[in-house]
Amino acid sequence: MLLPVNSKCECGHQNAVGTVLCEACGKPLEEQLMKSNEPLEMRYDGVARRSQKANPDFLDKIWNFFSSVKIAIYLIIITFLGAMLGTIFPQASTFISATFNPKVYYSEQYGLAGEIYYFLGLHNTYSSWWFITLLVMIGTSLVICSIDRVLPLYRALNKQQIRKHHAFLKRQKATYSGQVTDEPVQWTKQYGEALKKKGYKVHIDESGTALLAEKNRFSRWGPYINHIGLILFLLAVLARSIPDWNVDTYVSITDGDTVPIVGTNYYVKSDGFSMELYDNDELPIELKDSGRVKTFKTDVVLYECAANCGDDFLQPELKEVKEHTILVNDPLRYKELKLHQFDFNLTPRINAVSPMIINKETGESYGPFHLTMVDPELYYEVGPYSMELIDKYMDFSINSEGEPITLSSSPNAPAFIFNIKGPNLAEDGEMFMYFPLEKDKVRFSQDTINRELANKLEIKVDGMENVDFSAATTYLNVRIDKAVKFLWIGAFFSMLGLIMGTYWQHRRIWLRIDDNQLTLGAHTNKNWFGLRADAAYALKRCGIELDPKSLDNGGHKG
Amino acid sequence: MGKNRKKVQIIVLLFAFVIGGYAIFQTFTNDTPGTIKEGQAVPDFRLANLQGEPISLQDYNGSPLVINFWGTFCEPCIREMPSFERQYEEWKDKGVEVVAINLSEDTLTVSNYVKKLGVTYTILRDVDRKTEKKYGLRSYPTTFFVNPNGTLSSVFVGEMKESQIHEHIEKIVGG
Repeated sequence: MLLPVNSKCECGHQNAVGTVLCEACGKPLEEQLMKSNEPLEMRYDGVARRSQKANPDFLDKIWNFFSSVKIAIYLIIITFLGAMLGTIFPQASTFISATFNPKVYYSEQYGLAGEIYYFLGLHNTYSSWWFITLLVMIGTSLVICSIDRVLPLYRALNKQQIRKHHAFLKRQKATYSGQVTDEPVQWTKQYGEALKKKGYKVHIDESGTALLAEKNRFSRWGPYINHIGLILFLLAVLARSIPDWNVDTYVSITDGDTVPIVGTNYYVKSDGFSMELYDNDELPIELKDSGRVKTFKTDVVLYECAANCGDDFLQPELKEVKEHTILVNDPLRYKELKLHQFDFNLTPRINAVSPMIINKETGESYGPFHLTMVDPELYYEVGPYSMELIDKYMDFSINSEGEPITLSSSPNAPAFIFNIKGPNLAEDGEMFMYFPLEKDKVRFSQDTINRELANKLEIKVDGMENVDFSAATTYLNVRIDKAVKFLWIGAFFSMLGLIMGTYWQHRRIWLRIDDNQLTLGAHTNKNWFGLRADAAYALKRCGIELDPKSLDNGGHKG
Repeated sequence: MGKNRKKVQIIVLLFAFVIGGYAIFQTFTNDTPGTIKEGQAVPDFRLANLQGEPISLQDYNGSPLVINFWGTFCEPCIREMPSFERQYEEWKDKGVEVVAINLSEDTLTVSNYVKKLGVTYTILRDVDRKTEKKYGLRSYPTTFFVNPNGTLSSVFVGEMKESQIHEHIEKIVGG
């Protein structure tokens, strides 16, 4: 755009470079614009944007780039297109398995397209450098566009000259010219009174023959308040990358266990997971016996570590802070922490057994003694027997070389090797291998392993009441999102600004009377129908009756 | 207005540069959360050894350090332990330390295995899988080679051959 070099108006006001309509009297400053007869472009009241300058330096150039609404729209469109790319295939962040390998997954699942997708880094679109760069640029543009426009607009609206140039008045989209028969000062006053009834603030200049009536100016700040909200929202989104601001992990807890939530100072204990199904009489016929789930729930206790927290040598001191029954959509909430029900596993886990020792030769039985699967006691005195625990396997198996091994650290197939001393046994003791689970006893042929000793001794659990086991494992999703309250605040301001700008309109009516010749102009940002009705209503109260539509000066029927 | 305008310009652009720069920088460092990058300090720990004494990462300040995670249920972990033992013997005069952190198994299991394998380097006992998670382990065995200043030199996931252990140790002794 060519900027007018001489920005001094004939009314004597010195305007800033880039001003379209004189800041004081409203006269169009560009010669070409003055000659035309089209309705005036009233955007930002014709004032110059803050950054418009005759000789921009480097900083100004950067500033002007971000100050452009055109650039802002391009940025938004590019961001939309980029965001669309991220929806073609699932994002890598949606997979929670520790063994998930995106490199393999995308090419296996989607072939060449998947390989290209992964190669371009689109599996992490929303945390990629270019996407974040776009967001940062939009944020910068929001701030700079707003500053550049809101400050001059505020100044322009804060000290408005009442008497406007004829060209300004006649070239509004709602305008009227006519003769006034009454005394001009009296007429102006009467017109003002009528508009006051419509809720306008009325200003009349010293001569008493020029008037400015204005209503709902605050709605002009709506878009800027909306922008402040959006900036807060964007900052909150970016703040999620600050360490500890956004935690999204999973814990698995077997009934009765207390586990640390790594990355926080919390521990959580499960008092048991349970699943309830609908009874058949609660279900419609089609769904009978289909096993519909009624509730998934986990009773948990949340602990905060009070001492020895970062230290795994000493036992942490835990302080109970909250108890809660977690249901779907009813997470445990404590400060910023939330624990959601996520998954479950109904495989039971054996924790301890209390077996008896039976002397097969005499039929006498002794005990029971308590044997835990994890960290068991190493010595046991049971009746006449003394036993030393020599070795144990949590998940017993035999490897390819025929050696006993453990397949995992979970007690899926526990096995214990005791050295037992007692009546009718060798002095140094005899080795006895014990499988607490009945199925393992058979699978690994306990009796064959123990040979003759199997005929002398038996270790046996008597009834389920002597078995301590956990029925289920619950999986909880751990969420901490410190940014979420700022998201809400941002959303609130954004909405507030939208409402201000949507449901109210800034209406202004100017008039001047020169030798009984009335010139009236009116402007609003929307709802011209209402504005014209207001202007016509007040004219009628002053004796000029006309169809509000006749005020229209340029295709604004609405 | 002229002077003020420049000030506002500089402040706003500086803010955009600092906050935006931080956010963009994060995308380069944070692509897989929980994993440690080469050159970063390795996470701290304080764990019990087999004698029940506390050993922490700081105790190895200034020494080239090999941190190996292992479990008795992990066959490749067990297979590579004799190689680590031989490499430890070869390098210990140069101040190299080897620490093998067990994957939260119980006392009897760990001590029996260590006795059977006859390793002489330090065995530590993780608790509730906390250290393992701090180190972002995804599979076993995983070995971290740490420079004398406590920063990560390299990570090796999977069973290591003795020659590979040798090469990795050479790097942390040199650096």
